[in-house]
Amino acid sequence: MNEPVNDSGPIVGALIIAITCLLLLAFQRILFLVVPFLLALIFYYILYPTVERLVLAGMSRRAAASLLTLAFLVVVAVCVSLMLPWIILRLNDWEMAVERYLQGGIGLLERLLAELEERYGILQRAHLAGTVAQRLNEFTGGFAEHYVEPIALGIAGWTPSLLLAPFLAFFFLKDGHYFQTFLVRAVPNAFFEKTLYLMNQVDQAARAYFVGLIKLTVLDSVTLALGLWLMGMPAPLGLGLLAAVLAWVPYVGSILGGLLMALVAATDFPTEPAMAVWVVGLFILVRLLDDFLYMPLTIGKSLNMHPLVSVLMIFAGGAVAGISGLMLALPVLGVVRVVCETIGAVVTDPRLMARYWHGRALRKAQANADL
Amino acid sequence: MFGLFRSKGDASRTQRLRTLSLFVTLTPGELKIVDGLLHERKFLKDEVIFDKGDEGQAIYIIIDGSVLIWPQGKPVDGQIIELGPGTFFGDLALLDNSVRSAQARAAMNTTVAVFFRADFMGLLQTHSLITSKISLQLARHIGKRLRESHNLANSPQHL
Repeated sequence: MNEPVNDSGPIVGALIIAITCLLLLAFQRILFLVVPFLLALIFYYILYPTVERLVLAGMSRRAAASLLTLAFLVVVAVCVSLMLPWIILRLNDWEMAVERYLQGGIGLLERLLAELEERYGILQRAHLAGTVAQRLNEFTGGFAEHYVEPIALGIAGWTPSLLLAPFLAFFFLKDGHYFQTFLVRAVPNAFFEKTLYLMNQVDQAARAYFVGLIKLTVLDSVTLALGLWLMGMPAPLGLGLLAAVLAWVPYVGSILGGLLMALVAATDFPTEPAMAVWVVGLFILVRLLDDFLYMPLTIGKSLNMHPLVSVLMIFAGGAVAGISGLMLALPVLGVVRVVCETIGAVVTDPRLMARYWHGRALRKAQANADL
Repeated sequence: MFGLFRSKGDASRTQRLRTLSLFVTLTPGELKIVDGLLHERKFLKDEVIFDKGDEGQAIYIIIDGSVLIWPQGKPVDGQIIELGPGTFFGDLALLDNSVRSAQARAAMNTTVAVFFRADFMGLLQTHSLITSKISLQLARHIGKRLRESHNLANSPQHL
């Protein structure tokens, strides 16, 4: 978020966190609507400049929005029709692959622990390698049969809801600015400029966050893919993209992405344990690049929040609303913060309130004039 | 479906905007884009539009009615400017977020179109030609006002 409107006190701060948690809880209940809405928002921000260019070229806004949405749907339809048979054919293979990669990861861990046991007698006496491997085998036994199919079915179940996204994006592109004007029309004259400023701040923050997130994902994917390709890992682009998308879930997702890459390296190169270390090294390097180069270039300081508040809010979001809470905590907090701070600034401004009451008195007098 | 969000009479407002000096160089297509960004507000006689010292966020274009511009406080003869339909005020807000230098108050029931600075800046990214044309007209307007105040300061009755 850009500069805050004013310094919020502890009450406003507590209110912001409470409202964010309540919203995250509500969003979890209507996730089937929130996810397509967010996707539509991302499409809207990405396609908006093109719509504006088409409008300037003489096309009506409706035609421009229709054309772009149609083009997008055609691209999606082509991709799905090409990939769906391939995915269905390989679903069974993937079930086995997940099992294989988990076993590969456990094997790597077992080898590392065995080496440690050789060096430190205390670990040998505790049978560390055997105990850990046994526990992990118990935990992951039948993981693929239990989880891969439900996950695949879950994704398939989400499809109708996700189809809402292009539909919503079309209306955002066609009537988005009418909607903003419609909302502002309800605002009293006294608060008009402040409210416009508020809406703009929210719009800017959301645009910076979502468009930045997409750019960051592309940068992360390309860097990881390049690194993995240089190391000779299989499917570098797919792995890089998966790790970059997993990083959308702050902190937890990043760790999961790194773990996934290490599992693949440990399984596909069982005789080269150094490969897994190199992959983890690459992952850490990309995380550092992310924090110090890519983030400032893309998302930047769009949310302008203290790191401690961000981390606490992410975990609070996770506790309140699970995975969706983890993912939505920061953007929701950013929007709620600007809204609360601006409302606070408006209602605590005595001159604005005086102008509001003056305007109301004038309207009342006009309404009563000929009674 | 979203037709209910649209305000009535957009076409007539576009016609009126076409005659404004600020938008006179815009083509019909460009004017349509700018019109889509304007907000229409109605002020009653004596209602304050903005105060001196407020942070300026938008330029106001008078569609109907008239507006008094004066230093904050009681009106003093010679320091009041009355603006009529087709004129605009608060124009410096389009360039930076400096504070308003005077108060604006509706002299009668007035309708204004408001052009928000952030929308202008957004337009700068997507339609730089439109903003160039508006900026040039704005620069001409500010230059004219500067010349007028310079001439006024150098006129015999001010010596």
